[in-house]
Amino acid sequence: MEIPYEVAPRRDTGLFNSKLGIWLFLASEVMLFGGLFSAYIFLRVGVIEGVDAPWPWGINVHKTFVVLGFVNTLVLIISSVFVVFGWIALKERNWGRFQMFMYLTVACAAIFMALKTVEYRSKLTQHHDIKLLDNSVLEGKILDKTFDVPFEGNSVEFNLAGSAPGFIHDIEGEFPVMKATWKEYATVDGERKIVDKEAEIRSAKEFKSWFVRARTKATSDLIAERKRYRSEVAAKNKALYKEEEFTNPKGPVVDTKAILTAESAFQLHSRRRQVSPIERSDKGDSMTYLDGSTVKGTAGDDRIKFEPHYLDMQLVPIHKQKDSMVWDVLGDSHMKDAWYENREVAYEHMEEYYEGRKKEIPESMLRGYYINIQSLHGKEHAKPFWQEFFDEFKAGAGIGGGDHSDHAEHSHDQGDHEHHDDHAEEEAHAAADDHGAHNDHGAHSVVMIPRDKIKFFNSHGPRNNNYYAIYFTMTALHGLHVIGGALVLLYFVVFGKPLFLRNPEHLANRVEVGGLFWHFVDLIWIFLFPLMYLL
Amino acid sequence: MADSPEEIAKHKKLYAAIGIWLLVFSCVALALGKITWLDFGPPGATWEDILIGLSVSVVKASLVALIFMHLNHEKGLIYKTLLFTFLFFLGLMSLTLFALADPIRESFDTLNTVKGMLNRPN
Repeated sequence: MEIPYEVAPRRDTGLFNSKLGIWLFLASEVMLFGGLFSAYIFLRVGVIEGVDAPWPWGINVHKTFVVLGFVNTLVLIISSVFVVFGWIALKERNWGRFQMFMYLTVACAAIFMALKTVEYRSKLTQHHDIKLLDNSVLEGKILDKTFDVPFEGNSVEFNLAGSAPGFIHDIEGEFPVMKATWKEYATVDGERKIVDKEAEIRSAKEFKSWFVRARTKATSDLIAERKRYRSEVAAKNKALYKEEEFTNPKGPVVDTKAILTAESAFQLHSRRRQVSPIERSDKGDSMTYLDGSTVKGTAGDDRIKFEPHYLDMQLVPIHKQKDSMVWDVLGDSHMKDAWYENREVAYEHMEEYYEGRKKEIPESMLRGYYINIQSLHGKEHAKPFWQEFFDEFKAGAGIGGGDHSDHAEHSHDQGDHEHHDDHAEEEAHAAADDHGAHNDHGAHSVVMIPRDKIKFFNSHGPRNNNYYAIYFTMTALHGLHVIGGALVLLYFVVFGKPLFLRNPEHLANRVEVGGLFWHFVDLIWIFLFPLMYLL
Repeated sequence: MADSPEEIAKHKKLYAAIGIWLLVFSCVALALGKITWLDFGPPGATWEDILIGLSVSVVKASLVALIFMHLNHEKGLIYKTLLFTFLFFLGLMSLTLFALADPIRESFDTLNTVKGMLNRPN
């Protein structure tokens, strides 16, 4: 079918059809992104400093990711220039130059998406926030398998009527030799009785086959008991009707509890989502899974290994900041000194500004991020920003393997000094001195944070934070536009030659339409970048 | 947009110049966010910084729309379409202003509570 007005403009509109089409589409896109921008601004201006959950600027947004975002801005602008030059090449009927500019544009799109991937990965895996019970927030990086609950088990109690107990998947190392004890019905001397059973289990496979058999038996016992109960009820009803004597039937009795006792203690790394919210008893001698099974034993060392970078005290009242539990958790006085030193500098800036205007410092400024979010490691700009950029890029791209080799480790035991290995501590201190942990060069210490002092922790993903939720929604939507636009332009350059030979003006119009979309993608980023990264 | 190849060739310099200006403005936006002495108003990102930062963005966006997207000399129908878009967009943005007139009422005065907390001695 011939589509009209693909090359020559319609007389009434003065436009070729696809151009009008793309502008209508772009108008609808403005609405889409406009709604999201509006929602973002709405949430942003509604934040009351020091009262609501803090908006995470000044932490990572304000530093390293800015450089990634900035490079992406340059990449998109350059690609926009390439598109327009590609279109000019078509107008000049120069296929070779058109090809070159289009491939360059697509390459720019690939660079953009690659940097975006690095940034996403970094946010999701390299940066974490830990909120302590007094609302102080530590920003940094969790270094261990924090989502597991370490536990040393001796025995497990569970129900044969349910699903297989989850602990079986969480055993670390070799499967322990276990003795299973449970009860089931058996016919002894012609009488149906509950008897104690025992079995030895040596592997997960053996456990599974044992469990399936025991569960099947428990189920058939239950069915038999119900049958017995129903027939006894029927007999009772019959006796009632005939006004004969009767005995009340006993309800179905099936004991489906089973206990596994290990010969030696076994190590568990329980997946946190499998463990119930009241995951461990107060004494720490038992842990309950969501499937109802309870493991008895002793709690493992349940502390989070954490590399703190920044401390956010926005939600801690100023007069309580000195006594905050975060200082106990950090334990290292140089971090406290560094934080207060940075805060003092920030306060002096603030004081200078308002003194110059003969005004008091507004209270909201004292509660705000500028005063209350500070680096724990010396001066804010101790490292050149390009160095930070490359560090971040390496971490995000997973380059360089052992990501903490550069960082001095200083294990700090919390309230557990009698178990502290002095030798290990000395070594850690020596390492710290080698790498200059107690200085302004941005090397980070490592602390162990007890879980019972933590309100919650999460990565910089979209799950628990308004800012990151909007950030991921908007940048991902924009990223999809980048991919879509690049695919269209790639289509023109890969499959466009026949059309170029047949009707170059038609191809030029198509590229113009694709280019309009590409410029729009650039335009959105022009607003996204400052809104998400700078302001 | 001029259609003859000769006229288009004349625009090449313009497009290149606009590209460079866009790069320059991007650097300005970054500098506004990163360099301390370009921090307008009170220290930190305040409304003054937001206003200036977004103004730079508006300038950049205008350059892209007017030059790269040829809106500086487009047909009337497109302007008419975009007029509606613009009005709807203004509406969307003003939703945030309407919200100011309808704040969430709290059972206690949050700001004064915090103020009390700040002034309380140790």
